[in-house]
Amino acid sequence: MLSYLDRKVVRDLSRMKGQAIAVSLVMACGLAMLTMSRSLIFSLERTRAEYYQENRFAHIFAHLKRAPNDVRERVAKIPGIAGVQTSIKVQVTLDMPGLDEPASGMVLSLPDRGEQELNRLFLREGRWLEQGSRGEVLVGEAFAKANSLRPGDSLAMLLNGRRQSFNIAGIVLSPEYIFESRPGAALPDNKSYGIFWMPYEEVAKAFDLYGGFNYLTAMLAPEGKEKAVISEIDQVLQQYGGLGAFGRGDHPSHIRVSDEIRVLQTLSIGFPLVFLSVAAFMTNAVLSRLLTLQREQIAILKAFGFSNREIVLHFLKFAFAMVIAGVSVGTVGGALLGNRLVRMYEMFFRFPELHFRFDKSALLWALLVSTGAAMIGVFSSVRRAAALPPAEAMRPEPPANYKPALIERSGIAHLFSHSFRIAVRNLERRPMQAVFTVAGLALATAILIIPSTFRDSVKQILGVQWDIVNRDDMTVGMMEPASIKVHDNLKHLPGVVQVEPFRTAAVRIRFGNRSRQLGIRGLPRNRIHTRVVDGSLHEIVLPPEGLVVSDKLAEILGAKVGDEVIVEVLQGKRMTRTVRLIALAEDLAGIGAYMDMQGLNRFLEEGDIINGASFTIDTAHRSQFLRALKDIPTISWVAIKETLRDNFRKTTAASINLLQSIYMIFASIVAFGVVYNNARISLAERSRELATLRVVGFSQREVGAVLVTELVILAGMALPLGLLMGTGFATAIIKMVNTETVRLPLVLTSSNYAIATLTVTIASVLSAANVLRSLKNIDLVSALKAPE
Amino acid sequence: MTLTSSSPIEESARQGERIFHVRALTKLYGVGDTVVRALDGVDLDLFQGELIVLLGPSGSGKTTLLNQLGGLDWPTSGELQYRDMDLTSATEAALTRYRREAVGFIFQFYNLIPSLTARENVALITEIADDPMNPVEALEMVNLGARLDHFPAQLSGGEQQRVAIARAIAKRPKVLLCDEPTGALDLRTGIVVLEALEKVNREMGTLSVIITHNATMADMADRVIRFSDGRVQSIEKNDHRAPASSLKW
Repeated sequence: MLSYLDRKVVRDLSRMKGQAIAVSLVMACGLAMLTMSRSLIFSLERTRAEYYQENRFAHIFAHLKRAPNDVRERVAKIPGIAGVQTSIKVQVTLDMPGLDEPASGMVLSLPDRGEQELNRLFLREGRWLEQGSRGEVLVGEAFAKANSLRPGDSLAMLLNGRRQSFNIAGIVLSPEYIFESRPGAALPDNKSYGIFWMPYEEVAKAFDLYGGFNYLTAMLAPEGKEKAVISEIDQVLQQYGGLGAFGRGDHPSHIRVSDEIRVLQTLSIGFPLVFLSVAAFMTNAVLSRLLTLQREQIAILKAFGFSNREIVLHFLKFAFAMVIAGVSVGTVGGALLGNRLVRMYEMFFRFPELHFRFDKSALLWALLVSTGAAMIGVFSSVRRAAALPPAEAMRPEPPANYKPALIERSGIAHLFSHSFRIAVRNLERRPMQAVFTVAGLALATAILIIPSTFRDSVKQILGVQWDIVNRDDMTVGMMEPASIKVHDNLKHLPGVVQVEPFRTAAVRIRFGNRSRQLGIRGLPRNRIHTRVVDGSLHEIVLPPEGLVVSDKLAEILGAKVGDEVIVEVLQGKRMTRTVRLIALAEDLAGIGAYMDMQGLNRFLEEGDIINGASFTIDTAHRSQFLRALKDIPTISWVAIKETLRDNFRKTTAASINLLQSIYMIFASIVAFGVVYNNARISLAERSRELATLRVVGFSQREVGAVLVTELVILAGMALPLGLLMGTGFATAIIKMVNTETVRLPLVLTSSNYAIATLTVTIASVLSAANVLRSLKNIDLVSALKAPE
Repeated sequence: MTLTSSSPIEESARQGERIFHVRALTKLYGVGDTVVRALDGVDLDLFQGELIVLLGPSGSGKTTLLNQLGGLDWPTSGELQYRDMDLTSATEAALTRYRREAVGFIFQFYNLIPSLTARENVALITEIADDPMNPVEALEMVNLGARLDHFPAQLSGGEQQRVAIARAIAKRPKVLLCDEPTGALDLRTGIVVLEALEKVNREMGTLSVIITHNATMADMADRVIRFSDGRVQSIEKNDHRAPASSLKW
């Protein structure tokens, strides 16, 4: 049975439930963020780890020109390797009848007999390929879904220039393609790019690679060292045109999932921290007030022999009750939000099954962190309760020691109304309480800045990437490098307003002991389409020599402008040279490297060669243009800006907006809670004083003015501080969401600040109105009676 | 009604066990120029079963003495013994135990816990006592058996004070210390409260010390101690205690 002292906890809590709920809700917001993000991290990490393990995802990956199949044995003998899988991986063009633009994809070979050793597939629908079958294909789920393909449907592909029709046997998933996207593309376009699997014999024969392979993956033994094994593999494959092996850390699909986990990690620390600090402030305010009101009760308990420990415990129970409520609501809320968000990940990531898994350790964390926050919040007030000497506490608190406020002493006292003087003096007398309120309100304002910054920054990406950096309508890539003369043919396609060629080359850029594999993009002079811009969005002129790389790449490499980086070309003549870094480009997605096109061609010691082009199209002739493209067999892929932008809106932007609205709601709860709490406390602590003012003839309006003046002064101090703090938080969080996949630019707009200010102001006004309403109900007579 | 003037200490009234032994008790508040001598050398012996009325003007040191007797505060100097226990050198923990086991307090403003009912206010204390009365029994003793489940706000002042008395006696204390128990009450309710105190003293043999500045109450005491300027002015012994119901003011 509940002890009588505990009954007091329950009853007192129910009397101050408004405030207790406000504190618990703020706590719950932080904990919901915490459990949601911890659980999502847990879900993604565990699901990925299990998927990798069950389907034997390789540790090392290498592309090469062609090696005979027996090279596999040599690689397998390298110490530290536990398994090797060789296959053929080729680019194909697709003919999708329902699709205007040419679609393209990657075909991987499956062993003619038996299962793959590594990177095993997961069959989602249909059946596996039959042994010795021809004309059958397995299709990756993302592409199949985007194009509504089912097992039994057929699909036309251009294999090495020859059009062939294939029957879809099954829809599959691969641990190599959790994130299915064209290599080098920052954003997925699953409608026009897909992954396919065919029997080895069929692919090999079509591409004249029978008896050999051009793609190798390897699994490390437990004792295997990635770096050592990679360099051994590189040595073996060098003579076969190896493009340089790389580990999971450079694997595009792996990076995407890891980046997402990193973003979640940032969120799982940053946000809860802010929310729980506010909750700590509020707990402190609520408990301090409770102690003030219960001064005599504490004295009685002491007089009757309750020990300090019992009394401290008694008041801690109030905090603990709020913690329990906060943790319950927070974890349930976090689980619900997590369930919702996990479905969002299904848009990006293809797992056999991505379930929301509740991270039980998050519950423990939530309890620990919120108890910690509450304890910090109550520590000083509870200690005050213990220190209260019973004999002294028995007497009503002596009248507070007021003095003229600083602002009055400055000699302009006559300018102020009585209400103003009372308000200012009261604030000055209790500076700590004022500080806590200002801090709480400022944090609430600050929290509001963060989600809007995310939204504005996404807007900026959309704008910068597609209006300032890329001004073309479409980009086209070719199967093989071609002479610059192709340019003339492209110019005469229907609807072409402007065409600009480009040249890309696969390289490894090295600086010190850090390196990254990517494509250098050579851009023509006097171009309009693809601009390379610096941090202030000014165009960087590409000189005939020298390299411009993404700011992020320079950061990864640890290089700065003026440094000489080593560029290993992974194709053609495969030379290695040093190039000077001449500028850093501000791009917001992926990592890139740029050179003058002629400069790049000279560097590669090849003639005037291009392997792609960008177009401005007359919209009236758009479909004609696309049909014409479909008929050019050397075209390997097409990226349409509108489609990409649409996809981005539907996926990344949609998810960021979803998060933004969640944060917005949370932030509003905090703002409202803080103001409500403060006004309530103000009213409760001073109901006698306010009633006295009413009795001696102040109107209700004048008494209300005292409270409102206080609130206005506090808000006036808190708002600018909050905007400043919010700017700091937003900067810190945006900086942390800085991955190779996507970088959010820091965008702080006046509308962002205005929304934050407005929300806090509205919350304040509503709270104040609520409290002023209860001012009407002050019982003048009982308020003047002796305290009970 | 006979008042007998007597020397303060030796002529102790009844021959019960000596509960308090007080010598040269002094309590100072404040420092330097602002020092206040709340108690200035008090000598007293108080015995089991006595009903003591402590009279004196405001600021004479009555409440300070009560606080020392009740273990709410430490004296500045002097001797203060409860039976064999030296209260002057007791630790905070020892004083807490002393209050828990031996002392019942009653205050002018009742000081009930507003969120607990009458029964619960009493039970709160019996829960931590060694050999308590049943809370209902305690409340019946002050004639509140019918209002067990009312909250303080639903009770009149007199009723609240009787709950406070029930709370104080429910743990069967050796000492009952009452600070202006009728100070906030009118005559009629004041008498009812005094009757309750009288009954407790008679039936339980508890040493009861009642502070008041209402001289009429002196008639119901075994001994009347007059206080002023932090000193005992006189101790008078009543041969016959007047029943509380006969008091008038």
